[in-house]
Amino acid sequence: MTDYGHTLEFGVFITPTADDPAAVVELARLSERLGYDLVTFQDHPYMADRLETWTLLSWVAAATERVRLSANVFNLALRPPATLARAVASLDLLSGGRFELGLGAGAFPQGVAAMGGEVRTGGASLRALGEAIEIIRALWTTGRRGIRFEGEAYQLVGAQPGPIPAHDIPIWIGGYKPKMLELIGAKGDGWIPTLKYITPEDLAAGNRAIDAAADVAGRDPREIRRLLNISGVFQAEAGGLLQGPPEQWARDLRPFVTDLGFSTLILMSDDAAEIERFATEVMPALRDAVADRPVMTVKRAAIRAQRREGIDYEGTPAGIRAIEPGDIDYPRVKSTYLRGGAPGIVLQPANVEQVIESLAYARRHPDLPMSVRSGGHGVSGRSTNDGGIVIDLGALNAIEVLDEATRRVRIGPGARWMEVAVALGQRGWALSSGDYGGVGVGGLATAGGIGWMARQHGLTIDHLRAADIVLADGSLVHASEAENADLFWAIRGAGANFGIVTAFEFEVDEVGEVGFSQLVFDASDLAGLLERWGAVVENSPRDLTSFLIVSRQRGGQFIAVALSMIASSYAETILARLQPMAQIAPLLDQSVYLTSYASVMANAALDDHAGVGEPLSRTGLLDHITPEFAQAAERLVQSGASYFFQIRAVGGAVADVDPDATAYANRAANFSVVAFGASPSRVEEHWPALHDHFEGLYLSFESTRSIERLYDAFPPRTLERLRDLKGKYDPENVFRDNFNIAPRR
Amino acid sequence: MTRQAAITMDYGHDLLFGTFITPTARPVSQAVELTRFAEDVGLDLATFQDHPYNPGLLDTWTLLSYAAAKTTRIRLAGNVLNLPLRNPALLARQAATLDLLSGGRIEMGLGTGSFWDAIVAMGGPRRTPGESIEALEEAILLMKELWDTETRGGVRSDGPFYPVSGAKRGPAPAHPIQFWIGAYKPRILKMVGRSADGVVPSLSYLKSGPGELAEINKWIDEGAEAAGRDPHAVRRLLNIAGQFSRTSGGFLVGPARQWSEQLADLAHRYGVSAFLLGSDDPETIEFFAKEVAPMTRELVAARR
Ligand SMILES: Cc1cc2nc3c(=O)[nH]c(=O)nc-3n(C[C@H](O)[C@H](O)[C@H](O)COP(=O)(O)OP(=O)(O)OC[C@H]3O[C@@H](n4cnc5c(N)ncnc54)[C@H](O)[C@@H]3O)c2cc1C
Repeated sequence: MTDYGHTLEFGVFITPTADDPAAVVELARLSERLGYDLVTFQDHPYMADRLETWTLLSWVAAATERVRLSANVFNLALRPPATLARAVASLDLLSGGRFELGLGAGAFPQGVAAMGGEVRTGGASLRALGEAIEIIRALWTTGRRGIRFEGEAYQLVGAQPGPIPAHDIPIWIGGYKPKMLELIGAKGDGWIPTLKYITPEDLAAGNRAIDAAADVAGRDPREIRRLLNISGVFQAEAGGLLQGPPEQWARDLRPFVTDLGFSTLILMSDDAAEIERFATEVMPALRDAVADRPVMTVKRAAIRAQRREGIDYEGTPAGIRAIEPGDIDYPRVKSTYLRGGAPGIVLQPANVEQVIESLAYARRHPDLPMSVRSGGHGVSGRSTNDGGIVIDLGALNAIEVLDEATRRVRIGPGARWMEVAVALGQRGWALSSGDYGGVGVGGLATAGGIGWMARQHGLTIDHLRAADIVLADGSLVHASEAENADLFWAIRGAGANFGIVTAFEFEVDEVGEVGFSQLVFDASDLAGLLERWGAVVENSPRDLTSFLIVSRQRGGQFIAVALSMIASSYAETILARLQPMAQIAPLLDQSVYLTSYASVMANAALDDHAGVGEPLSRTGLLDHITPEFAQAAERLVQSGASYFFQIRAVGGAVADVDPDATAYANRAANFSVVAFGASPSRVEEHWPALHDHFEGLYLSFESTRSIERLYDAFPPRTLERLRDLKGKYDPENVFRDNFNIAPRR
Repeated sequence: MTRQAAITMDYGHDLLFGTFITPTARPVSQAVELTRFAEDVGLDLATFQDHPYNPGLLDTWTLLSYAAAKTTRIRLAGNVLNLPLRNPALLARQAATLDLLSGGRIEMGLGTGSFWDAIVAMGGPRRTPGESIEALEEAILLMKELWDTETRGGVRSDGPFYPVSGAKRGPAPAHPIQFWIGAYKPRILKMVGRSADGVVPSLSYLKSGPGELAEINKWIDEGAEAAGRDPHAVRRLLNIAGQFSRTSGGFLVGPARQWSEQLADLAHRYGVSAFLLGSDDPETIEFFAKEVAPMTRELVAARR
């Protein structure tokens, strides 16, 4: 009695005859409608009356939506592994992760030779298959440089890996001989024999051979799914194996599942009525009959080998997507925009209940770092870690309108600001957030939000009316001025310390077309330029918000780029605001557009993050750009210690808000200064000269993590209150990874 | 408008307008969406480059198959498929299969391959320019044989590049699939004249500009005539790129009228009868389909 614990699945095996291609496609679609899990086709490229299997699979993938697809099985001799790997990955990507790889050593040497394929027999063909599996897996892995492979059958000299498939594609292998079974045990993810060609006794023996080989290879035999191609006859009177009424089929098949461990049963048939009968009468009966068998998935040994210490991988909450270091998606989720990471596990909850479960799971690992990630753009990089747990809220990205009249919207933390801008823009609305469309809602809206219309409309958090928060104890609370008002105060500036915000409710602004301009200046006199720019900004009406970026050109020349938004759709107003700005230094280039807020925010590609190393960013809030500050900034930039130096305008509406109204308290500042650097010691050399001028700090732009930064960020009264509230809402300091405020107990 | 005494060539094909879309793997559905879009805005053809060694791209054959299933009218081709990394006997069956599935919408864009280090890296062969042309012609003839189900008996060939020993003929495609070859130099152009149905160079690769098309035509025509073929049998396609702008800024940079005149001129002078626009920008594709294509058709019809 063997059962490898895989979910029970059903497939069809359709002959790809060329005389009626549409009928073949229709059988596949019918199978999908009938609830089959898998549609498979044989692959005999030397047969001229067949459709070519790869092309057919690609077509059928486009013509179906849910069902998974595979060859049963590909003839390796006519499909070299390197190009096959790319093709399979391509189809898996195009089909949304619905392709599985069935592979065979390539029978019918005559047919292969007739087609100009390389004929390999016996041991050579098996070795070729083993090599092919290695090559295919290597090409599906990132992070490596060109692949070199010196095989007997295949040689690669520096082939670049990729594309990475959409899911971890299993490689299922067809074959019967002992050496083949050994190979399956050592390297395969599945065995597909055909019942016609093998007795139940030999199936059992085959399983034993595979299991033994798996053992030898240090694998768990349960990593290998057993699939079986079956065929029979539906008839009224009971006959031999699979010859009889549907009830008999179900009875006949049951022991194959429960005693022999074949959990995927693939019906070989081209008869629509038979395919339907099997689906409607055999499948449900068999499902019922085996309903109580325990099911579990065992990851490949190669994946398990990459697990980190102290994480309960087997105990991840059911139903929540969990990605571990060996998983195919891991490279896509391990890092953030600015920081390379190596977390032990990334959980991707899809709803609030799953957030609560993810948090409970994380709390069962009290000694490991826990990161909360929304858009992954955190400058401190704390939304990833090394060896710990990441709760990735990317899937909680809904944007909905709650009330048209008051322009009240509800936004999930995983949404990105460029998506928010598009959704709001469709209604003639906007919410000033930040300058980059890729930034996530969760990190920004719990910290501040210094955006393109900050002077006109205030910080993002100034528009927050309510939020849903999962607290450390797993409770879900609503916070607003009326409910949990103290918590509502805290999450507007220090949210990361208090819980996981799962939804934000904002009241947004009516915003029509806006002016957006880019002025490029010669920054040879940097200090003078900074001072003059600061004065222009402070003297401008609130409808102008300007961000200045200083950088060094290739020739060593310094340039400054002023990006300004003028919240007005009148050309005269826009030009009038830009006039004084254009005078601050010699202009090298200029452009001005009448555009939409959403178009300005459409400046990011929402790609996977690939940050490496540690970010280095220093920041401070400044009341005025004084000559002394401007000179200190000039020295920093000219030293080359900061490769990216930016000043954002705040003030205006931001300063209208009472400093005690939110945890973001440094309301008086007119500017927020940010410097990115490469070498901490070089930045440190110049930074104190700037630091002297600051009146506070906006945490979202800071990467150094000393306790001093908390004193910079929060005035004493604010910090005191935050400590008290931390003691109330997170006494055990669960949320401690990003600028931790120690709880007062 | 005044025109120089025109040297004209016209090979009598109907005008085709198409796209040359990047088969990018990211975002994964971009190429398919652009193909559907090209069909929606009325273009005749969607084509994709093929660099099977480039991991940033989707496998072109897979993409062609998938995109064909997602469209109903537009014709599709590689631009051009990389022969050294594809087995021509298998490719013949693949093309026939897709032609059958799609109701005759597939053409065979094919090339010798050129990035040999990358091809070898993938386990493919390294060929000299001469060998690569011979291999290409051998592949064309082999594929034609395999599609020819009228003739009896298996296909045999000693190669040297693609030996086959009695490969069965079929399936036959739904329509006579055209071989369109990426080519620039005399030797391969003569081969095109002899054995293929079209040439598809990229304008941006023509070092001395569009004038080089006359050279290209000359070699093809010579090759065709030497083989006793009518040069009209070979369609002249052209990959182009440009920018739509209100004011003129050079060749294919300007308003629709300028584009149309310049394309009509290419049709008129060099017999170009298919323009494939290299662009992944929906606005440019729409502009090309809705403004440039009809106007060019009119201008060419008026002159024919
Ligand atoms: C290119 C770039 C441009 C930027 N421009 C601006 C700008 O113009 N104005 C501005 O104000 N900021 C700007 N920022 C800073 C940005 O606001 C912060 O980095 C912000 O934290 C990013 O949010 P996220 O969700 O993408 O980040 P993540 O990395 O996902 O999260 C950052 C941190 O926020 C906390 N967090 C995340 N989600 C939640 C949640 N749901 N509940 C509670 N805590 C949470 C966690 O502690 C996490 O470590 C910019 C950043 C970058 C990289």
